[in-house]
Amino acid sequence: MNDEGRFGQYGGSYIPEILYSSQQQLLKAYRDAMNDAAFIQLVKSEMQTFSGRPTPLTYCANLTKMLGGAQIYLKREDLNHSGAHKMNNVIGQGLLAKRMGKTRIIAETGAGQHGVASAIVAARLGLECTVYMGAHDIERQYPNVFWMKQLGATVVPVTTGAATLKDALDEALRDWSSSYEDTYYLIGTSCGCAPYPEMVAGFQSVIGEEVKEQSTQQFGKYPDRIYACVGGGSNACGIFLPFVGSDAELIGVEAGGRSDAPGDHAMRFHTDQARFGIAQGFATKFLQDEEGQLQPTHSISAGLDYVGVSPILADLEEQGKVRMTSASDIEVMEAFKLLTRHEGVIPALESAHAVAGGLREAAGMSPDQHIVISISGRGDKDIFNIAKALDDEPFTEFLQTYLKEESV
Amino acid sequence: MNKLTSFIQNQRQNKPLLLMTHVVYGYPTIEKSLEIMQLMLDNGVEILEVQFPFSDPVADGPTITNACHHALEQNPKLTQCLQDIKKLARQYPQSRVLLMSYLNPLLQPGFTSLAQQMGEDISGIIIPDLSIDHHAMLDPLSNSGIAPIWLITPDMKADRIRKVTEQAQGMLYCVSRSGVTGQKSTDQLSTNQLSTAPKASALENMQGYLNNVRQFTSLPLAVGFGINTAEDISALKGHADVAIVGSAFLNAFNKGGLEAVARKLSELQA
Repeated sequence: MNDEGRFGQYGGSYIPEILYSSQQQLLKAYRDAMNDAAFIQLVKSEMQTFSGRPTPLTYCANLTKMLGGAQIYLKREDLNHSGAHKMNNVIGQGLLAKRMGKTRIIAETGAGQHGVASAIVAARLGLECTVYMGAHDIERQYPNVFWMKQLGATVVPVTTGAATLKDALDEALRDWSSSYEDTYYLIGTSCGCAPYPEMVAGFQSVIGEEVKEQSTQQFGKYPDRIYACVGGGSNACGIFLPFVGSDAELIGVEAGGRSDAPGDHAMRFHTDQARFGIAQGFATKFLQDEEGQLQPTHSISAGLDYVGVSPILADLEEQGKVRMTSASDIEVMEAFKLLTRHEGVIPALESAHAVAGGLREAAGMSPDQHIVISISGRGDKDIFNIAKALDDEPFTEFLQTYLKEESV
Repeated sequence: MNKLTSFIQNQRQNKPLLLMTHVVYGYPTIEKSLEIMQLMLDNGVEILEVQFPFSDPVADGPTITNACHHALEQNPKLTQCLQDIKKLARQYPQSRVLLMSYLNPLLQPGFTSLAQQMGEDISGIIIPDLSIDHHAMLDPLSNSGIAPIWLITPDMKADRIRKVTEQAQGMLYCVSRSGVTGQKSTDQLSTNQLSTAPKASALENMQGYLNNVRQFTSLPLAVGFGINTAEDISALKGHADVAIVGSAFLNAFNKGGLEAVARKLSELQA
């Protein structure tokens, strides 16, 4: 990576001039912090004592036996405080914001996991917190909105455009344009202008570093393959980057959605609907039409339907160092059921994409091979969507009863 | 000298301040947006800025963002937009037409093709998400005499202003305050530090900012972001060459259609 935050032809900084000086201030503060052993130690300690790291590497005896192929392991990011890997990044950036003397953080969120994580860290560090969230996502993920509010954050519904993650990101950038003096923009994924992709991937790399140690301890080598779901790409960057250049094969799983038709999925690879573009502060592969307008996306998991992808992953894929595949909504629900039923782990629907990708290939591998699947988050937040997808009638009855009781 | 620069300097010989107005191509429809442009040019607006809509206009406030999203429902094409506004530019040779858009729609044809398509009739281009650090990308345009119009902001340091003025052509677009387009009026005409300052000192601050930029360049200075009223405009006289009014016209149109736009024009040109 050179000084401009470029990853091959991707990355860089394409932001309105008004943000130039605050970006320069952030770049400098980030470099300073990364050269300060005390800061690194503070981040590490906070990850351990507040978020519960290291997270376990869990062997799946039942699924391994059932499929009869590779040995299957899960990296349990679902066991972080807040229930997702998002915690790693907000701890790092929250401490950086504090170090820079900022009093307020702003964040964009899709599924709400990053919003909750940001609100948690803001509460802990005594920072004011505003979270931008697409109105459409708020409808799908209200429980997360509820928690953000309890944690003291202000949640601003974004109604412009498709009212999802990309629009929330636009709105956060607009806020930052007028508030940069006291406000830190805490981006949730490894996207955006420099240094965000590098910084977020860096704070998330603790995932892969732990897998290196744990796999060596538990089965005496690095995994043969590692699977992670890819929305913006922060959990994938986190688990992959420490293994780039090793023999481990790195596989990203995108949201295949309902179909391959435009607007029905969130795949940025292996489709002519996505190609090189520059928007939202950086260059990457964006789902866009012929006129360069960014396109609506769909996924059963709100956290994966981002229109672009980390420039780091776009570049690694181009270099052949990461292989991208996808899982459809239907495959994801099947994978969700298998993991829940046979291993007692309830994955987030985002993470269930990685499970689908891993289980699909595990059967064809040999028993002396090992795969690690990143369980980026837990499924509790998806209870409404999963109940709906599984047509669970008693759940609907429960909701009706709950509403009736409320109105009494 | 760049054609846009000489146009502004000639006009300025007998006018204290020129007016630059802004229209979103395709809002509320392509035809209607062309009517708004025509109305403005009929009323003697010296410079017309036409924004080709983008799905994610991060430098724009709610008024223009909403207009862009509505305009996209009309499925506008950049090639057609350029043909339409070139035609207008030829019909109104006493005014100048500029193109404004974000990087991604412009990258689709690429800047070499864009330079050819813009030709002689479109005098300049404004790209809010492209900073001076990437000026080389626009070489095909400047080589064809189309001015890349760079933004100056209130908290820019001297070396950064110099970096811009070294490359600048046509005119400079001085952003009056931090934030996005639209929203506030003279009350907040100030840099961020002084946003609570009383109006008079905010104005002085604004004039000081423009006088400072003036030290670095002889190019015409255009001022935009939050210019709404005749009062805002008269405060700029003697300190700037062009007043840029965008969201105020969209707000007027949303309230009262073409007639309201005409009223706003006569208010601002008084």
